[in-house]
Amino acid sequence: MKLQFLFLLLLVACEPPPRTDNTTATDADTVQLSNTEPSPNEEYVMVTTAINLPLYVNHDQAAFRAWGQKTGVRISILGPSDWDVPAQIQTIEQVIGTRPAGLLINGTDPGIAQAINKAVDAGIPTVVYDSEVPGSRAPCFIGSDWYDMGRLQGERMVKLLNGRGKVACLGILGMANQEAGFQGMLDVFKKHPGIQFVGKYDDKGNFETAARTAADILAAHPDLAGFCGFDSQSGPGAGLAVKEAGRAGKLKITTVDAEPEHLKLVREGVIDYLVGQKRELFTWYGAQFLFDMAHGTNRFSANDRRAGIAPIPQAISTGAVEIDRQNIANFRVRN
Amino acid sequence: MNQPFSINWQNRVVTLGLTIGLLCIITSGVYPATFPTVGNASQILLNLSIDAIVAVGMMILLIGGMFDLSVGSVVALSGGLSGYLMYYHDTNFLVAIGAGLLAALLVGYVNGLLIARAGINPMIQTLAMMGIVRGFALMLSGAGIQNFPYEFIYIGQSKLFKLQAPVWWMLAVLLIFAFLVNRTVFFRRYYYIGGNEKAARLSGIDVDRMKIWAFVISAGLAGLAGILLSSRLGAALSTSGRGLELRVITAVILGGASLSGGQGRIWGAFLGALFMAIVNNVLIISRVSGYWQEVILGLILIVAVGVDQWFVRRSERVLSQRVVKTSLNAENTEI
Repeated sequence: MKLQFLFLLLLVACEPPPRTDNTTATDADTVQLSNTEPSPNEEYVMVTTAINLPLYVNHDQAAFRAWGQKTGVRISILGPSDWDVPAQIQTIEQVIGTRPAGLLINGTDPGIAQAINKAVDAGIPTVVYDSEVPGSRAPCFIGSDWYDMGRLQGERMVKLLNGRGKVACLGILGMANQEAGFQGMLDVFKKHPGIQFVGKYDDKGNFETAARTAADILAAHPDLAGFCGFDSQSGPGAGLAVKEAGRAGKLKITTVDAEPEHLKLVREGVIDYLVGQKRELFTWYGAQFLFDMAHGTNRFSANDRRAGIAPIPQAISTGAVEIDRQNIANFRVRN
Repeated sequence: MNQPFSINWQNRVVTLGLTIGLLCIITSGVYPATFPTVGNASQILLNLSIDAIVAVGMMILLIGGMFDLSVGSVVALSGGLSGYLMYYHDTNFLVAIGAGLLAALLVGYVNGLLIARAGINPMIQTLAMMGIVRGFALMLSGAGIQNFPYEFIYIGQSKLFKLQAPVWWMLAVLLIFAFLVNRTVFFRRYYYIGGNEKAARLSGIDVDRMKIWAFVISAGLAGLAGILLSSRLGAALSTSGRGLELRVITAVILGGASLSGGQGRIWGAFLGALFMAIVNNVLIISRVSGYWQEVILGLILIVAVGVDQWFVRRSERVLSQRVVKTSLNAENTEI
């Protein structure tokens, strides 16, 4: 009898996970303020991973801070210091309980989709930036198309090598957006049989590792003709290795990002082509969309959330900034 | 004679429990709307569950005077292998879980074998294994694997009494191992080995076999944690478990284990992980930037090791005083 009771109790207390992805909005109340004037107590939170990454600090976070200052609301930037996606997920889940006015999430990996959906279900205005997260129900994504960035690099490398030569690439293996970039580049190379792809190598987003790995690749393939880079440290790392090998200007380098060190290397003739993101736009406009959602700036029904309408743009590609030796003079380079 | 209601301040489980209580009371006073809520408590438990399961294995290792730096990579491997088999080969979820766990056990066995029989230093062996296993995890998970069968998701996402499944798994692991370590001769031997390995060998304990078992158990628990993490996130990520080893070792030392071996309680491992999870939660609630997280984690580790050293020195002093007293008493009796 006792066992039966215990079994019954467990059965009642047991709550299975939802079977299918719920694509409709829930009845949770949207955080909506009564007017479009910002309140100083209103808080917008950015959750990222690798929070100390200079690329994030100098672009995403700087623009988000500037937006907060201009708008007169409170902003917070949270997340683990390492590239640790599960820790980012935990941070998102803990932030949900504190009910911020809006949540700006760096789309680092498809694995964060569930955490994003939790925020959406909790009625918190949520925008994903940088890379799209498949399976997420965030009403807006704003960022770059990484496959396209890889394709642009691949096309430029083919042009630089006149369709013939050995190419290797550096980046962070296993990171969803970079893998998409690798694929974009490889799809271009497939159309050019003269390009011999040596392989993709993990530089862990670290300058020293990138330089060391690039030097090792050069030692193993003395006839290497080009490097393609996919994270902010790939280009500078490959650049250093190529300079040390005395092959600057002869070996072609294309890479992502347009940080001061990248621009300097283009000016020096070490890097041939940069494909940069307009990262400031991710967080500036992402935050503005959150603000508009929270304040109901544009309404399309009595309750857009219940009606399943996102009162902001659904997906925005911010495009790419292409830099080479022809237009480098237009960019300020720190000495 | 023991005083009623007296507190044994040397018992780290007691002091850490009181510290946690104090921290909770203070934080509840400062953030009454966000910290002392059922949702937040449940989130804290969920977040610490994976770390605590791994911490149990690490506690057993540290009691025996060993440690394992590859546990974080094993977490990624077991989840990655299970995910890979289910997603790419339509393998039954139970078989996939079995394969993931088996791979984890194999890693533990190899670590144990090489450390115990070949005499390789545990730090060197497990550091090397950390890289090897992370590489395999990266190969299997790539840019992350999603869309697992419902049965697999159920293991980590279902709820019982409003607590998500990993919390119950953690409690089961804690109860089982607390019982085993306290009540079985097999596990009690680790205290002898950690206290004095030579004496343990001379007393007839097969130290090498015990060491192999300790690494197998630790890796097995890390494997279980990896399966639960994949199920909980609904994704197998190559970044899973990154930095876990540092967190877990910190938690276990906080919980009363000694770097010199021979000490520690399973509940201490739980309390250490709980303390770390609450600190992390407080940092997020109070919006302390991720920039400070590593600093704070490092400071906690220093304090933990400092306290450990203080206790070691104090107990050595007390022991020597007792020896002196006993010999004086003996002399007086003879006189």
